[in-house]
Amino acid sequence: MKKFAFNPLTRRKLQRFRSLRRGYWSFLLLLAGFALSLFAELLVNKRALIVRYEGTYHFPTYGAQIPGDRFGLGYEYETNYRELKELFRKENSNNWVLLPLVPYDPYEMDYREETATGFSPPSLKNRHFLGTDKTERDVLARLVYGFRIAFAFALGYLLLTYLIAVVVGSVLGYFGGKTDMMGLRLVEIWSNVPFLYMVIILVSVMPGWWGLGWQVSSLLLIMVLFSWTGMTYYVRAAVYKEKARDYVAAARVIGAGSARIVFRHLLPNVLSTLVTFAPFTVAAAVSSITALDFLGYGLPAPTPSWGELLKQGVDNLRIAPWIVASASAALVVSLTLVTFVGEAVREAFDPKKFSTYQ
Amino acid sequence: MKRSKKNHLLSFVCASLLWLLLGGGCEDNTLKRPEAGDAAGSLDDPPARLEEADEAYLRELARTFARELKKELGSVRTNEGIRGFLEGNDSRRNSGLMDGEGNPHPLLAHCSDSVLEFYLENKEAFEVSSVENLPHDLRWEDGSQEEEFSSPMARRGGVWRTFTSDFPRTLRTVGPDANGAFRRFLLDYNSIGLVMSHPDSDGYFPGLAKRWAVGKDGRTVYFELDEDARFSDGKPVRASDFFFNLYFMRSKHVQAPWYNDFFGKDKFLKITLFDERTLAIKFYKAKPDLVERVSIRPTPEHFYKELGGDYLTKYQWIQEPTTGPYVVREEGVVKGQSITLARLSDWWADDKRFYRRRYNPDRIEVQVIRDPNKAFEVFLKGDLDMFGLSKTEYWYEKLPDDHPLVAKGYLTKVTFFNQVPPPTFALRINSSKPPMDDLNLRIGFHHAMNFELVLEKIFRGDFARMRTVADGYGGRSHPTLQARKFSVETAMKHFANAGYRTRGSDGILVNQSGERLSVELLTGYKHLEDVLVVLREEAKKAGLDLKLKILESTAAWKTASEKKHQVVFSAFNSFVELFPRFWEPFHSDNAYSPAGSEKFDADGVLRPDVVIKTDTNNYTQTAVPEIDRLIDRYREEESLEEITLLAHRLSEAIHDHAVYVPGWKKPWLRMGHWNWVRFPDDWGPRETRDFEEFQVFWIDEEGRTEIESAKSSGKALDGNDGVRIYEKHREKF
Repeated sequence: MKKFAFNPLTRRKLQRFRSLRRGYWSFLLLLAGFALSLFAELLVNKRALIVRYEGTYHFPTYGAQIPGDRFGLGYEYETNYRELKELFRKENSNNWVLLPLVPYDPYEMDYREETATGFSPPSLKNRHFLGTDKTERDVLARLVYGFRIAFAFALGYLLLTYLIAVVVGSVLGYFGGKTDMMGLRLVEIWSNVPFLYMVIILVSVMPGWWGLGWQVSSLLLIMVLFSWTGMTYYVRAAVYKEKARDYVAAARVIGAGSARIVFRHLLPNVLSTLVTFAPFTVAAAVSSITALDFLGYGLPAPTPSWGELLKQGVDNLRIAPWIVASASAALVVSLTLVTFVGEAVREAFDPKKFSTYQ
Repeated sequence: MKRSKKNHLLSFVCASLLWLLLGGGCEDNTLKRPEAGDAAGSLDDPPARLEEADEAYLRELARTFARELKKELGSVRTNEGIRGFLEGNDSRRNSGLMDGEGNPHPLLAHCSDSVLEFYLENKEAFEVSSVENLPHDLRWEDGSQEEEFSSPMARRGGVWRTFTSDFPRTLRTVGPDANGAFRRFLLDYNSIGLVMSHPDSDGYFPGLAKRWAVGKDGRTVYFELDEDARFSDGKPVRASDFFFNLYFMRSKHVQAPWYNDFFGKDKFLKITLFDERTLAIKFYKAKPDLVERVSIRPTPEHFYKELGGDYLTKYQWIQEPTTGPYVVREEGVVKGQSITLARLSDWWADDKRFYRRRYNPDRIEVQVIRDPNKAFEVFLKGDLDMFGLSKTEYWYEKLPDDHPLVAKGYLTKVTFFNQVPPPTFALRINSSKPPMDDLNLRIGFHHAMNFELVLEKIFRGDFARMRTVADGYGGRSHPTLQARKFSVETAMKHFANAGYRTRGSDGILVNQSGERLSVELLTGYKHLEDVLVVLREEAKKAGLDLKLKILESTAAWKTASEKKHQVVFSAFNSFVELFPRFWEPFHSDNAYSPAGSEKFDADGVLRPDVVIKTDTNNYTQTAVPEIDRLIDRYREEESLEEITLLAHRLSEAIHDHAVYVPGWKKPWLRMGHWNWVRFPDDWGPRETRDFEEFQVFWIDEEGRTEIESAKSSGKALDGNDGVRIYEKHREKF
């Protein structure tokens, strides 16, 4: 098999992208952030990283829950590692606990303090760096896990909508004629189904006993189902344009079948259109999931989510400004980064390097 | 999995269809209608009755459809009508509705033909007699021994500015869309019935009837109307308006199945008119609170004359003449924004005992403010006079005691201890669904619910734990029974008895066949998510995985009424009644078909071929022969002592059956008001559940100007304590 290599055009585009500093750095930052969030359990978690107890080491982060009995705490449910740490410290023994940077998980309510009844302001001492929410859950923990879910969601959304759009768009564009006529009408009808209402209606009847993964994926499917149409038009137009070119005619002359023409010749040329749209689609997906959560029709409670945090923040603007501040800052920063990436990609893929608009 | 989703979709579509068929919206609930969803109002959410799910409504709807269908199919109904009567149908003469010549009785001379026909067709329920036939030995009562509950200081005048969360979809009080939050201004807190129950005692005080007497049979109440009683259009209230009330409420044109049933033939057996101002109403059963139950409201016959298919549209934006003091005039309606109610200057009850010095403001301005947080800001600005502060974050964070407006003496925060049956916030366990059909598991579940932490942290110790299935009914509530307390050890002991002994890798208990102890908790209360989150996290300690299923309310209550839930978290509004209801939520007839004892075998065990009954209030699917027997006796019983005893035994039996995890109750009402709103010394009567209810406050417009000018100059006002607690009715436990 031939060694994989980009064609020179693509390589030039990538180079151009790399030279656009703002977009490139935004891309790296986002990538790093998302990669880090995949290992969020090591940074933000109520489970300890390492526990040394009576000479043995335990690594509770991943894997089965360790009951309190194991460390002589006298209960069967999951060990509270923060209390364990305190205990070891007081005992002054050789046992020790290494906690993650933020020792809370996004679901857990920190009712340790007598006076804790929700909305504790940011505190370094308690390691609630961005304060807590209504039920004393750590805002930072919820932001981090919310980021992971939102971006995973957005990537899934991107892949699925583009997949459908590419399939439908190329069928319409390539075969043209009656297929295109009828198909496009169907797409138009489908695109007129009010997206938000459908999502709200379907989500409200979604059974909750499906685990989180199932619920997120069904929400994803519902959203994809009602929003792939937009991209179809672009793909269709691009395919229409490309298929009239000489290289397609040449391929046909030497006997290439439809599949070969579409996959080997048309799609690679059409993809550049899609790529320029991708970052904006990600931004749109993140904002829609946030908006849906804000309205209460998004991910099921108590899933950490930015929309839910924003809602809490707005409802309690006066008494807990740190919630709305953190959530909106996170949202603004990440969406801005995505938009920078988008602009850079668009510029890199623009054949007119020296555009008069610059 | 696929199938259940399909079912959900299907039921949703069905529900929507039903909804659309009847023109959308929920039904009326003036009277004592249990209502899921609305209990949220007790947390001072805007009473969002409009959108709330209503299984009772759907149930009634289905019933009405069935009835109508039956009628249509077998339309051999003999419709003899007036003509039939004129042709000499003698059997109809003795009801006294018509004289020998076929003319209506003088009391009914004004009735239209179709109304008369209705009375004739149901002559067993409508009778005209004469005063001579009144029993002579009646013991008339007039409530004169009761105390007034208004303040002698109260002054008429001023404008009361309040809000509602949604513009009313109609000004009708009956029919689709009519039970919105706004109806309280038209009907519940405005209109006057025959006799009113006294909010400070167990007695009654006169309404439209100046005196009343219970007949010997214990089922009939005689009323003598007040000669002054008038509708707001100046027309007097006639005894025949109560005839018309039944005609109205039983009509299919009002499209109000719940009312159709509530005022059905099986409950209101007969109304007898004796003269223009005297009537008797016969109820189907002699209950201790009979007077209250038959104290219906008149429907102005002169206004409607008769009902036709155009009822809904014709009266959509017209308020029917009311017996109460406030009316909506055309100029008061600004569509989508506000409605202003005007006080009648010469209301008939202005100088009557129990009514004087109440209903004081000259106008009520009801603004539409959709977002409660925004409404709160409008209140702080001074554009709303009062605001409910039951929610903890409002009371503690948003309007703390040291808030400048409170500290400077402009605003007062009030805690008023009231005594009313609380909305029943509780977890209802569906005992027909494995694994919850196991008593041990259910008891373990009770002990795994950390309501103590919820009360302490989420409600900051302001609420009390509900103890039994029937709290707040005075002597009828069990004196000592307590809800099961949170305890990881006890819970685990019971779970072990049920076979769940080992913990899985995620800390959740597993039984021998490898099933996880996972229970789904369904609810439609998005705003109480925090409570469930705490319960869920705490239940993990006992090895129980609680899966939260928080749905949009219609979908949630629909699922529950189909009995597809494992555990449902819901609340029903209970009404200020003398004794609790057990039949609807706990009798086996509301859990399974066939009815009666046939569903049990000789040992009292449920037969395997019974069919689950949907659309009933028995959300726990309780079917225990012993509980059935107790409930049957309880329903038949007419003496209050026996009823009390049985109520206690039932509370215990249901506690032992462990299907109902009592949640919390709120022993008080909390609100804030600008100090230009004045209240009586005791603030309000004992049974106040909503600060707008009895309208004993008054507005001091001079005070308003004074406070507003002080506010703009930042000057503090003396003589206002800022935070007040009224503990006269505090229960001592």
